[in-house]
Amino acid sequence: MFDIYLPIAGMQFNALILIAIGFSVGVLGGFFGVGGAWVVTPALNIFGFPMAYAIGTDLAHIFGKSIVATAKHRKMGNVDMKLGLLSIVGSVIGVEIGARNVMWLTKVGYAGPVVRYTYMVLLFGLGIYMLYDYLTKDKRAAAQAAKAAAAARSGIATPPRKAWNLPPMIHFPASGITISFWTVTGVFLFTGWLSGFLGVGGGFIRMPALIYLIGCPTAIAVGTDLFSVLFSGAYGCFTYGVKARVEIIAAILMLFGAAVGAQIGVTAVKYIRGYGIRLLFAIMIILAGSSVALKQFNFTTTAGFVVMAAALGMCVVIMIQLYRGFQKEKAEKAAMLAREELS
Amino acid sequence: MKKLSVILLNFFLLSLPTLLWAAEGLDVPEELGRKVDLTNLGGINYFFAKWYNDNLWVYAIIVTVLMGVMGLVIALGTDVILKMVGMETHKIEHHE
Repeated sequence: MFDIYLPIAGMQFNALILIAIGFSVGVLGGFFGVGGAWVVTPALNIFGFPMAYAIGTDLAHIFGKSIVATAKHRKMGNVDMKLGLLSIVGSVIGVEIGARNVMWLTKVGYAGPVVRYTYMVLLFGLGIYMLYDYLTKDKRAAAQAAKAAAAARSGIATPPRKAWNLPPMIHFPASGITISFWTVTGVFLFTGWLSGFLGVGGGFIRMPALIYLIGCPTAIAVGTDLFSVLFSGAYGCFTYGVKARVEIIAAILMLFGAAVGAQIGVTAVKYIRGYGIRLLFAIMIILAGSSVALKQFNFTTTAGFVVMAAALGMCVVIMIQLYRGFQKEKAEKAAMLAREELS
Repeated sequence: MKKLSVILLNFFLLSLPTLLWAAEGLDVPEELGRKVDLTNLGGINYFFAKWYNDNLWVYAIIVTVLMGVMGLVIALGTDVILKMVGMETHKIEHHE
């Protein structure tokens, strides 16, 4: 009933499926600060979208969606534009090096297994580390408080943690950090290299890198990452357009869904604390790693369903958290008004 | 002396990316090489398909500009609508 004709792909496709895929990726993208290509491509594949156009069409919609989500995150004070612009320099160089390394591996015949296993190790490793980080946060906070109290009692100041302070040092006021230019460039060179090597957008690599390696607060890591995704999405849209791989009508429909989803995902960041976002992100990428593992062992359709079910399930969780947070905020406002009326 | 060593270290670090460069050039995906059948197409479908067939560079520019403009319009439009219904977005405090 909702079939429309896609002129570039030359086929009929259900418009509601495109809008629904766009919506779920919009929620995830707005909430986690990622592009979501690792959800879109298998989802489109399952529903029969021609694979030749999937990546380019997805990048085109990611460009539009990241503008919507970044604009909203910026209003919430979650975008460190200085850091985002600086990230592009290191990332672009890193992507180029990663891509050339893959070409070399292809030449010697090892590209396939090396890339696939690197991808799985990265997803599982990152997910498990973030889960460990979440589960031990209270213990670490208590240990730090005890250390500070002991230092106060003994009168000996705790020595500050050593950091690599190689000049030039740059201050990022939005993130509240002062850090060596080389640390920032090195981190983004590494994340860019991973993106180029694995053939991915890199949002899910950059977001945890901003938190754990640069020291950004989680919400600012989400917004700043989306700002970087905007540029890679624009470049991807153009380059795949030139290569005749963008089905523009499908991209527009996904963008409509993503625009609504992004509003929900970005707003949900307001109601969930940083560690809550990290926990959900950890679960998401462990499930994505499971999907990659299934694909590695030739369970391609199952892999696609796993990643789609994970994406939809995570969207439901985010929307429930948003609803709960909104109700709590409403109740607090009502209680405050009642107190003011009484006084 | 310390400043000189910092400057030298900076130059060395700047040159690292070129030292790490692999020898091969990028293997870019080739064009799909197919033309879209324009018969029975009308309106916006015909417009996109015509440029797709005639000039992929112009098609790519149209697609990129269109997605960018649509993103901006949707972003501004939702801001206005949310403001009208009292759900304006404000700066948030960051809690870990």
